[in-house]
Order: sequence, then structure tokens, then C-alpha cells
Amino acid sequence: MTTPDLSGRPTVEERLLRERLQRAGYLADADLATTVWLASALQRPLLLEGDAGVGKTALATALAHSHVEHGEPGATLVRLQCFEGLDLAQAAYEWNYGRQLMAIRLNEAAKDGASRVREADVFSREYLLERPLLRAISQSGPCVLLIDEIDRADEAFEAFLLEVLADYQITVPEIGTIRATHIPQVILTSNGTRELSDALRRRCLYHYLDYPTLAREIAIVKAALPEADTRLVEEAVQFVQRLRREDLAKIPGIAETLDWVRALFKLDHHSLPEDMSAVLGTLGCLLKTREDRFAMGAERLRQLVEGRRSVGVAEKDADRAQTPS
Amino acid sequence: MTPAAAPSQRLAAFAAMLREHGLTVGVAEQQAMLQAALYFGPLKERPVQAAWRAIACHNLREWKLWPDVYERFWHPEKLRGGVKVSGQTRSSRNLRQSVQALHDQMNAEQGAASLPGCQALSHSAGDMPSGAPDAQDPGSPRAQGGASRTEALHQRDGQMWMPQELTALQQLARQITAKLQPRPTRRWRVAPRGQRLDLRQTLRRSVGWGGELMQPAWKLKRAEPPRLFILADVSRSMESHAALFLRVARAFALEADARVFVFHTRLAEVTPLMHRDTPVIQEKVNAVTAGFGGGTRIAASLQDFARHHARAQLNRGSRVWVFSDGFDTDAPDLLAAALKEVRAHGARITWFHPTRQVPAAAALQRARASIERFLPLASLADLAAARHVLH
Repeated sequence: MTTPDLSGRPTVEERLLRERLQRAGYLADADLATTVWLASALQRPLLLEGDAGVGKTALATALAHSHVEHGEPGATLVRLQCFEGLDLAQAAYEWNYGRQLMAIRLNEAAKDGASRVREADVFSREYLLERPLLRAISQSGPCVLLIDEIDRADEAFEAFLLEVLADYQITVPEIGTIRATHIPQVILTSNGTRELSDALRRRCLYHYLDYPTLAREIAIVKAALPEADTRLVEEAVQFVQRLRREDLAKIPGIAETLDWVRALFKLDHHSLPEDMSAVLGTLGCLLKTREDRFAMGAERLRQLVEGRRSVGVAEKDADRAQTPS
Repeated sequence: MTPAAAPSQRLAAFAAMLREHGLTVGVAEQQAMLQAALYFGPLKERPVQAAWRAIACHNLREWKLWPDVYERFWHPEKLRGGVKVSGQTRSSRNLRQSVQALHDQMNAEQGAASLPGCQALSHSAGDMPSGAPDAQDPGSPRAQGGASRTEALHQRDGQMWMPQELTALQQLARQITAKLQPRPTRRWRVAPRGQRLDLRQTLRRSVGWGGELMQPAWKLKRAEPPRLFILADVSRSMESHAALFLRVARAFALEADARVFVFHTRLAEVTPLMHRDTPVIQEKVNAVTAGFGGGTRIAASLQDFARHHARAQLNRGSRVWVFSDGFDTDAPDLLAAALKEVRAHGARITWFHPTRQVPAAAALQRARASIERFLPLASLADLAAARHVLH
């Protein structure tokens, strides 16, 4: 097992990490970069929580790509998508029974008794099917393990994860304990649909990803779509930021903003169209439920586009101002 | 590298403050925080703060609480004139004074403990006798803001709880929790004594036995227990009922893993505090629940609850229990809209009122359609009666 390399200067490394992430297409704020660097330095998993579409999964992808950019051999991204009913056989390992049986049958068919197969022969690494967790800890080079939407998995699976996350090892009864030779950088994401256990939370560093600020979202969209007009990007992002303050069933995330700006750009718009029907036509990129689509009529959209202090928004702002801190 | 004693002690004091605020900061977290401080150096406050936040916070509640607690400890000068959340005041952060204060406190505790029949000096302002504030030393810490030092919930007149009453409450909570019907789902889970054969799993298992069905796998219909949310009104008008409400809420937090919120002009989650029962924690709950002189913003609090705090967890299996008299300083229509919003997630709302009759508040009358049932809650007997209708 490798030990953390703390010889470098953290702030410099953190800045470099931020630049690498930026080159990989992910604009991380300073605090997030610090946390990611620290998770790597302390060899601790990082639990990211936040609404859908704020860039939790994208961070892991960018992190894996950033290693490639760095000139290193490249970090392998191993992704474990969690779902209800996920079990050990799908997440960690499974014996390749078919191959084991074939080995036994072939051995039986062999004329000479010299090559007699023993139990230990068919219960070896050769006959083990590696699932994401085992694959991640078996990597010889840098690896990013993304355990996506952990809140969708069962509580029993969480308990199994504790061994992997605390000691980076998996115990296979027939073989023994398999320890990681190269500690993977583990990112867990959760949408908060279920409370995770304290044991799991305590093994991880924690970061809550909120929706980006106006300036940051503009920078993200500009980085992703450099060919789009600055005016279009700024107006569109302002509109989305106002839209997020509305009472929506599904708040649009960064991915939705990118989709929408991309759609407007493809339709040759250089700024937000004056004609609300054009906006309405592309609104499917942002609003994903029937109720939300129904709630956003042409007049309401006009108010949001013009940034008028409409009733709902004004009330919310007033509420925020009055709330004692 | 051996850390200097002073920073580690300062960090220990900070960790203690974090624990007071419900954050789980143990030895492992403190070590990691110290390591992070050593990596970045004392002059790099921004990365150190970000690193500590990632280490000490384990959920959204703690994440949002962090900036306030951090500023309060490390930059108390910035908060001059602000309202303290706690009923206690903190002495100067000067290290020498802090250490001296710690020694004084330890000496005082030892001295008090050595006197037979004499109670140890309390850590909590709430443990002081109600007559004490007038006679206290002017230099001793006083409560600030709305948090009264004499209003620990378990010590108010008329609100004393006998151990047998607490046991009875816990039993009631257990019975009611058992009656809350789990929501059946269309999904199945593997179970040793299931109703139906899990063919896929059975076939998969048979591969290891050369195709023989040696290990059948069974499955059972999956039922999810209802998620319980309790919102207790602790505004000035409900002051006399707050103790009962919080006791009941605590019982359900322990039995049904309910998430508990309190509100007056704003909403705050107190679930972590509900899982512990020490005088300090009681005082903390008291401080959070103390009304700040304003009215009750039920509608705004409910909206905040549905849109932020429980947004991802409110669904068809959720039960939302509101403990309030329904008198709202928001416009009457807003409460109806807020309840409708909660109801839109599929949650079932029960309104517990401290009066015999359903409150005549206009806001509540307009919101009746969204509320499944009204139940009185002024005593344990009311809760016992309610167990027959809560399911």
C-alpha cells in the first residue's frame, strides 16, 4: 500500500489540480479543489452531495481525465452505478463458474492422471471475475473510483463498502484479503434521497455542491461553448439563475443550462430572443416535468427574461432579507 | 512532525465547540484537521477552513452550520452585536485566558464534587436555578439574544417530567411507530424465507453447482417504512407547549428515526440534538427554540422545509406532522399554498394543535383540504388517544 505523498507544497499542488481540472473541462472553485487535493493527500474517499445536475459525477470524470493531461500514464475511471438490490456479485467480484467447470471437465477428460486439478487451482484470481470495486483496487496505476448515487443502494451494501473505503481491501473467503497496490481516489455521490449511515459518512471527506454562482456558471458555459456569443451566454445564464428561484419540481442544473445555450446557439441566436415563442420552443432543455412546463407561461417567461422583480422573486428576496441570520 | 501544544489545544477547543453544535468530531477528525493545518500552514486560512469543513461536516445540516460556528470561534470580533445561538457566552479566545479558564473550571468542578450533597457547577446556563440571574456575579457569562439562561426545558415550572412519564411517552411512540403502515412497493428483495422463487438468482447460483438447482433464492415484496417529519412550532405563543412538543418529537426521533424541525420565524433542523439528552443539549435546543420576539411564519417555514430541507425525501410514503396552533403572521393564503406544495410530493399531513378544538385561525381554515387530519396534543393522554387514528 502506498503512503500519502505530502512532500509537495499543498497550495501549489492545489492550484495545479485546479488548472488540470480546468483543462479537463471542469471549473472547480477554490474550496472544492482544496477538498479534492486533501482527499488525495489523506487517501480518504470524498462524499459529494448536492442536487442532480450540479456536477458531482462530472468531477470524477474530469479528475480521471486530468491525470492524462498531466502527462501521467492516465488514470483509469472505474464507475460503480448504484441501484436498489446491488449486491456483492455485481459490485466487487464473482467466481467465473463456467470457466471453473470447463477446467474441471477438461481435466477429467485428460487421459493422464498427472494433471489432476486441485480445489485451489480453480479458486484462484484467474477464475475471479472482477467487478468495479475489485477492478479499482487491483489497478497498478492511478485510478478514480466513482461510486455514483450511493443513496440508491441498500443499507446492507453500505456496510460492505466500509471495508473497501476504510482499508482499500476486499476479502474473498476462498483466496484471502486482496489489498490495493495503488490507492484509488474514491468519489461517492449522493442526491440525498436517503440518509446515509454515520459510519459511511465518517469515513469520507464531505463536500456539498451547490448550484454555481452567476459568474461561475457563465465561466462554465463559456468554457464548454467558447463559440457562443458572450451576450447570449450571459443572458441565458441570468435567466436560468432566475428560473432556479421559481418553485419548480425539477430545478435545472448546469447540464441543462449547457443544453439550452447549445440549443439557442444552434438556432443562430446571438442573444436571448425577444419572441417568447422561440424561448418556449427550447424550454424543454431546461424544464423536465409537465407541471414545470405548465407553470411557465409566456408572460412569466417574459418577466424572467427581462429580470423584472416579479411577485414570486420579490417575495423570496424579501423573505431572505428578513430572515434572521 | 510534532505539532505545537498551543495550536492543538486551540483546535481541541474548536472541536469541542463543533461537538456542542451537533457535529461528530472525534479523535480521528481532530487528527485529520491538525494534519490539514500542518499541510497548509497557519497563514493560509482559506484552504485550512475548506479542508476542516470537509473533514468535520458529514451532512448538509452541518455543512450549512459551519460558516457560523467557524466565524464565532475564530473571528468573534466580526460577530459583535450579533445574536448568539447558544445560551452560553464564550470567554476570550486568547490562549492563556482559555487555558486558565479551563483550569478554573476543572478546579471548580473538583471542589464542588468534593462537597457532599453539593451539585457540581453546571456547564450549562440552563442548569442555574431560576433565581440565580439577579444574584449572579456581573462578570459571569450572560445569555445573549433570545436564549434565556433560565429556561432549560426540563426545569421550567409545570414542565417537569417524571421518569415514568418519559417511559410511557417512549412506549406510546413505539406503539404508534409500529402502527405506521409501511408503503408497499412493486420491488422485490432477496429474503431467506421469501414468498416467491427468485429465478434469476437461483439460476445464477446453480452455475456454481454445474447447473443443479442446489441453492434456491427466494424473494419478498419490499415495503418501505414511512419517513416521518415533525415540525414543531416554538414561537412565543406556543412557549408553554414547546416542552411537550419537543419531548414528543424526541420520542419519535428515537423510535421512528423521524427528522425533527422547529420553527418560529425561521426553520431549523434539530434532529441530531434530539438523539442526545444532556443538560447542555437541552439548553441548545432551548436556545434554538427560543422565539426572537417575532411572530410565527408557518407558511415560509413549511416552504423552506419542502423546497430545501426535505426536498429529496418527501414522497408518497412520507408523513408530515405539524405541531402548532396555526396562527401565522404570513398571509393566510400562503399557508394553504405551502401545505399544498408539501402535499404535492405525496406526503400525508397531520396537524396537532394544543387546543381542544381545531384552531380557528383563518390560514388553517383555508388549508384544511391539504391536511389529512387534525388531532389535539396538549398532554400524553391526547397522544394516547391519537394512536388509534395514526397509521
